[in-house]
This record gives sequence, C-alpha cells and structure tokens, in this order.
Amino acid sequence: MNKKRNAILTIISILLLALFLVYANNFLDIYVVRILNVCAIYTILGLSLNLVNGFTGLFSLGHAGFMAVGAYTTALLTMSPAVKKQIFYMAPLIKPLDAITLPFPAALIAGGVLAALAAYIIGAPTLRLKGDYLAIATLGFGEIIRVIFTNTQNITNGALGLKGIPATTNLWWSFGTAAFTLVVLMSLINSSYGRALKAIREDEIAAESMGVSLFFHKNLSFIIGAFFAGIGGGLLGNLLGTIDPKQFNFLFTFNILLIVVLGGMGSFTGTIISAFIITIANEVLRFLDESIDLGFIVFNGKLGLRAVVFSALLMVVVLFYSQGLMGTSEFSWDRLFDKSRWGRIFQRKPLEKGGTDQ
Amino acid sequence: MTLDWLLQHLFNGMTLNMFLQHLLNGISLGSLYALIAIGYTMVYGILRLINFAHGDIFMTATYFAFFGVVTFGMPWYVAFPIVLVMTGLLGMLVEAAAYRPLRDAPKISILISSIGASFLLENLATVIFGGVPRPFPTPEIFTGVVTLGNGLMVQKLIFYIPAVTLVFLVALLYLINKTKTGMAMRAVSKDHETAKVMGINVNRTISLTFGIGSMLAAVGGIMWGMKYPQIAPLMGVIPGLKCFIAAVIGGIGDIKGAVLGGFILGIGEIMLVAFLPNLTGYRDAFAFVLLIVILLCKPTGIVGEKIAEKV
Amino acid sequence: MSLLDVENVTMQFGGLTAVKDFNLRLEKGEIVALIGPNGAGKTTAFNTITGVYKPTKGRITFKGKNITGLRPDQITRLGIARTFQNIRLFKDLSVLDNVLIANHVHIKSNFMEAVLKLPGYRKEERAMRQKSLMLLEKVGLADLKDEKSNSLPYGKQRRLEIARALATDPTVLLLDEPAAGMNPKEAEDLTHFIRQIRDEYNLTIFMIEHHMDVVMEISQRIYVLDYGVTIAHGSPVEIQNNQRVIEAYLGVEENA
Repeated sequence: MNKKRNAILTIISILLLALFLVYANNFLDIYVVRILNVCAIYTILGLSLNLVNGFTGLFSLGHAGFMAVGAYTTALLTMSPAVKKQIFYMAPLIKPLDAITLPFPAALIAGGVLAALAAYIIGAPTLRLKGDYLAIATLGFGEIIRVIFTNTQNITNGALGLKGIPATTNLWWSFGTAAFTLVVLMSLINSSYGRALKAIREDEIAAESMGVSLFFHKNLSFIIGAFFAGIGGGLLGNLLGTIDPKQFNFLFTFNILLIVVLGGMGSFTGTIISAFIITIANEVLRFLDESIDLGFIVFNGKLGLRAVVFSALLMVVVLFYSQGLMGTSEFSWDRLFDKSRWGRIFQRKPLEKGGTDQ
Repeated sequence: MTLDWLLQHLFNGMTLNMFLQHLLNGISLGSLYALIAIGYTMVYGILRLINFAHGDIFMTATYFAFFGVVTFGMPWYVAFPIVLVMTGLLGMLVEAAAYRPLRDAPKISILISSIGASFLLENLATVIFGGVPRPFPTPEIFTGVVTLGNGLMVQKLIFYIPAVTLVFLVALLYLINKTKTGMAMRAVSKDHETAKVMGINVNRTISLTFGIGSMLAAVGGIMWGMKYPQIAPLMGVIPGLKCFIAAVIGGIGDIKGAVLGGFILGIGEIMLVAFLPNLTGYRDAFAFVLLIVILLCKPTGIVGEKIAEKV
Repeated sequence: MSLLDVENVTMQFGGLTAVKDFNLRLEKGEIVALIGPNGAGKTTAFNTITGVYKPTKGRITFKGKNITGLRPDQITRLGIARTFQNIRLFKDLSVLDNVLIANHVHIKSNFMEAVLKLPGYRKEERAMRQKSLMLLEKVGLADLKDEKSNSLPYGKQRRLEIARALATDPTVLLLDEPAAGMNPKEAEDLTHFIRQIRDEYNLTIFMIEHHMDVVMEISQRIYVLDYGVTIAHGSPVEIQNNQRVIEAYLGVEENA
C-alpha cells in the first residue's frame, strides 16, 4: 500500500517539476533561469563529490580540476571554427581541434570521459594515500591541472580563457543531467559495488580483509565522480559562455565541499537540497558585497562579506551539526510520513560526537 | 674545465656569478619556507593533521606588521615583537575555535573545519584589510645591496633571512629539547592519553604548539613581506600549501625534516626557473610534482620513520 | 601437502622483531590454536597470513599456491577469512549490509551490470541476500538484520564478525580471540558453535585465544608464542605439561 502511494507521489513530483521547468523556461526572467541552471549544475557537482568524499570516505580536494577538464573539452568541441580562430590570437589552436564541432551531448560525454581519464591517471599514484595526504595530493593535482591549462596556449588559450562558447545549456539539459546523475549514482550506491564503497569509508582494513579490493573500488569511485564532475563542468562552461583557468581554483572545490557537508556526507538527497540552498543563498546574499540605499538607511556592504558568511557557515555546520541536513540518510516518502520521527526531531538531543576514525 | 665553463656551455650562457646569485636566492627562499613548514610539522606532530589555516596565519602576520609600522607609526623593533605575540595569540585562537571542539571527532570533520577556518581568515582579511594589495613597509635597515668580492651584487636581505631563520631555529630546538615545556610537547605528540596521566595539561600544550608555530610563521611573514614587498589577503594560500609539502618532503612531524624540506623546495624552485626558463609558468606546480614523487617513493619523507598501523 | 603452510616467517618493524621464524602447518578440517602471553606477536602472525603485513622474511603457501606478499583482498578471495581482536565491523551500516559486503568478493557481474540492474546482477543480488540471511540465522542475528551494527551488544558483534567472515566462503577461518569478554557459559556455547561451523562449512580453523578452557577443549594442536618465538607446539596435553610454556605464563603473572 505504501509502495503504491510512494510511486504515485514520486510521479506527481516529477510531473510538477517538469511543469515548473516549462513555466520557468517561458515566463521567468533570464536571471532566474540562470540561477536555476546553476542550482542543477551544482547538484551534479555536489553529487559527484559526495560519491567520493561522503560515500567512499576519500577526502579528495581536486574536484575543480576535473570540472575544468570537462568545461574546456565541451567548450572546445562545441565552439564554431570561426570563433576559435578569432579568440586564439596568441597561438593558433592545434589541429584537429580547430576544425571540429560536435553536437552538445557528444561534447558533454567527451568532457566527462576526459575528466574520468584524468582521474584514472591521477588515481594510480594518489589513491594509496590516506586522510590528509590524499587531500593535499588531490588538491595538488587540481592545481597542476590549472597550471597546465594556464600554460598550454595552443589548446586552452592560456590565461585568456575561452570566450564565445555557445549557450547551449538550458533548463532541460541541466535538470535532465542532474536527474540522470542522481539515478545512476543512487543505483550504484545501492548495489553490491556501492556497499563495498561504504565499507571502505567505514573501515579500510576490515573492508580489505573481507575481500574488497581497495585499489579497484577507490579508483571506481574516483573515476565515476570525475566523470560527472566533467559533465557538470561542461554544462557550466556552456551556460556561462566564458571560462578561464582562474575560475577553477580551490575556491570552487570549497563551494562544492560546502554543499556536500551541509547536505550531509553520505546523503545524495541532502546534497540536492543544499545545492539549491547554497546557490540561491549566494544570490540572495549578494547585497552583502554591495552598498544599497534603502532610502531611510544606507547599508554598507563590503566586498568579501558574502564569502565570510559562507566560510563561517561551513565551520558552524562542522562544529555543531556534523551530520549536516540529512546525515547519511536519504529522503523517502516513508520518512516524510513517519509521525514518530517528527516527534523525535522536535525534541532532538545534541548530536553526539562519534570518534570513528581514531 | 671550470664550473664556470661547464655552466656556460651546458646552460646557455649562465655564469658562475649568476649561479651563485640563484643559489643565494634559493637559500633565502628556502629559509622562509622552512620557517613556515615548521609550524605545519609541529601541529602535525601533535595532532596528526594539516592545519590548513597556517598559511593564512602567515598572511595575517604581514598585515599586523603593516598596521604596526604604517598605521600606528611604531618603529620596527617595537612593532615586530608585538606582531609575533599577536600572531601567536591568533594561532591559539584558531586552535581553540576550529580544533579543540573536534578533538574526538572523525578526522575528516577536523580537516573540513580547518579548511573553513582558512577561508574565514582569508575572507575576513579581504573585508577588513581590503582586497587590494598593499606595499609592505620594509625598514630601511633591511634594504640595500652589497657587492661581493667577485663583483656580484646582492640584496642584504638575502643574508639577513637565513641568519634570522637560524637564530629562531636554534631557539626553537633549545625550547623543545631542553625545557620542560618542550618535554611536554614531545610527550603529547607521542601519546595524548599517557601524557595526560603523567600530569601534562594536553590542551594547553597543544595550544602552545599552535602559538609557537604561528610565531615562526610571523617571522617568516615579516621577512617574506620585505623580500616580496606586497601583501594581499590571499598571499598565504600558495606558500602555505608549498610549505606543507616541504614538511612532508622532509618527513612530517620532524622539525629538522621541515627545515630540510624547506631548503630543497626553495632552492629547487629557483633553480628550475634559472636552468629551465621555459618551465617558468610551471613553477607553482613544481612543489606538487615533488610531493607526488616523494609520497610514491618514500611516503614518510626523507628523515621520517615508518609507523605501522595497529590492526 | 598441508592446506596452509607457513615457513620461517619473520616480521620486523624497524628494529623490533615481532615474530621470528614462525612455522605453521594446517591440515584440512583441523582446529588449531595459537596461544601466548600478551604482546607475544600472535596477532602479528595472523596479520602476516592474511596479508595485512608483508612478512620481512619467509614463505606462506595456501592450497599449494605461494601467497606471500599478496594483498588481503586477494588472500580472502583464495579462501582465508578472519575476524578481528578489537572488533572491526562497518559500524554505521546495518547488520545485513555487513554480511552482504563480504559476499562482494565473489561477485561476477561488473559494476555496469550492477548499476543497470541487469537480470544477471539481480539474480546474484538475490542469492547474496539469501545466503546472508541464512548466515545471520545461523549466528542468531536474523531478527536484528536492520539494526546498525554498532548498536549490537558486544557478544553479538563478535558473532556478526564470524557471520561476516563466513560470507566470504572461506576454506580456512582465522579467529582472533573469539571468546574475549565472554563468561564461562558463553565460552562453552562458542566452543560448540565453532565445531558446528567447522563441520557444516568444511572449515579449517586457526584461532588465537586466551580462554584456556576453550583452547584445551577444542584444539587438536596448539602453538605457543612468546616474544615472537614459537616456544612449544603439540597436543593440548603436551602443552599443559610443557615446562617452558608454564614458565612463560608464570613469568607474565609475576610481572602483572
């Protein structure tokens, strides 16, 4: 009975979302549509980072690098030869990239595949490392990718970046891809392979002793995470129209990390909720960076104040709500309708600090 | 066949003087890296984790110096000691806010908290100090050049930096190896529980470690400001990462290792640019490549010892 | 040829020799115990057999195959499973998931088939579930299958560890202090249980244990380690009367 109810509710929600997207596409102004697009793209990026950090327990900080690979690949494969000729004035784009133009989906997949390939190369030396060593090594690789992109003038146009990328990304692409990402990652996590990933997160030594190959499964998670990060990057590049290497610095990874931590490390639905919260808050709080005259009072914002709020938010979440919004649970209709659970939430005790990684 | 000749022929026209110049540059950059790397290695030794905020503490120190000298018009010999104390206190504050509440939490939480603290400091600095770089007020006594015997002209600073580093390094080693406080620090880094049983105040010792590490970062920051006389809120990020890498290369947890790693990285970076000018753009990637190589060949660093995990 | 053959295995950490020239032969169907005072190197010996540590010296042969230096997951796949002295369950996962994970070692579907939930994978998943539930039934945890594993009481966690190890379809089962923290009655039950699973799953069992009642009752042969050195080896009766063994244990008691 519950099963039937849940299926109906799910179908209704999907229809409502589709209706909303049709409405947004036709009636909402371009600024709002853009924010919605960013929400969906950040969802993809957050989901992919959560697979690696939240579900597999690998503290990877190189996500921005994979996004950059995806964004550049997709952009270069979708830009027209004329535009490429025009912007590569310092050094011409190498053959055959200068003449190729692919359809958007093919270019997106190519971006994802190249990002996955980068992860495969990076994973071999780094995934043997643990904890903060892994963090710093992946962070280093993210930086190396950025430095390479700044210096390969005839492929990436160096520090000048790419301009005039076709604005192909729309709500259907971004939300469609986000939904696809969610379905694939959920299915992975609920399979035997997903359980193996969680086992690695819980206890590497026990997992290995139960026959889970650490190398294979860590790589699997890292590569799939990078694949979707690459696709997310591709969508982002073709939404913004311009990209340059500086965009994909550690700050970008930080923003995605914030989404994952706020949503709950190990909860995909938590990531979706927090991707929307963070992206929208980022826009709403824009006033903090500017001065506004409300007529009776002048609010003096200051450049960087918004970023202060976000970094403080990350600390507050980690220090006081280490489970984030969802902990390691997923949204489900049964949970939503479980009255006893709501009772518990409203008289919730402070979260205990679990020392699992000692 | 002299060294001069070799250099000239192997590396398109580099003279011995140029080489010496690069070497001196490398040594002074290496000293700065070493000073900052010590902070990482001390915190790692005692808590087994990266203090991501260390580079930002280093940055803040340069602003303290700026305000001391420029805004309050203090003479440098008054301002700089105050800067050291304030930076030390800042380090202790960061520890109390971002680390102490999470002492028993999973490691990943502490890492995230430390990244949060790092970004908070950077962004606060942007808001309070402004995003535009400011000139560092180098006291006149530290400026100027000297001409060496063979006609080589170098900044005086190139000699001051290693000298000052040496003084602080000796003081630090004395503190750690010969004083009671140092003994407490060594005990806590071996085992928190046992140290507690022996009557050591673990929290205070950890706090002190952060304080001392931050003071050394302040020394590094002040000299960094003199050498590269522009300060900005994000100036600590890259040196911070590089110095952590220096600590890992040398063997994290070991002070001599951090110093060694600092010099290897500093001299290596300068020489890379000097000998292979085509790779100048990749200078910032050098440290990371070196890190990966070390982690693959000898994960415990050059002087580190292997610790087996208990199963 | 023995089932498992450990020859002259030495394990050093820096300058410290934890196990020196350890020799062990396990014949099919045996129950063999490894005893010795605390810090004698028993768990280290276990860790070298299961691949957690790479022995500094020596050779380990299993079913005629040299397994020295293989990774733990490779060794598990070949048929050696273990439990841990200081329980290492996947704490935040359910009891059932803990056992399911151990099934993963023999999975045939690749991850694409698993993500796409193809019929072949579905069939495998059903079989894994069935087997896991059966194992939980066997250790008496079936009705707790959806509980978080770290919410179980200590004794049940130990049994879950055994169920988890059995799910890897082992030939040899290594138990690290299975009776730790048990009262005499529980220890006796455990003795029966170990015999029972040995017969039912055709296992060969090698265990570290401090409960002498359990050890003497259940083992056909006993190895005694002290300071990393094998000081005795023989039947329970021989061990009980061995002068060196008595000294090793008495020596420890004097210090304690």
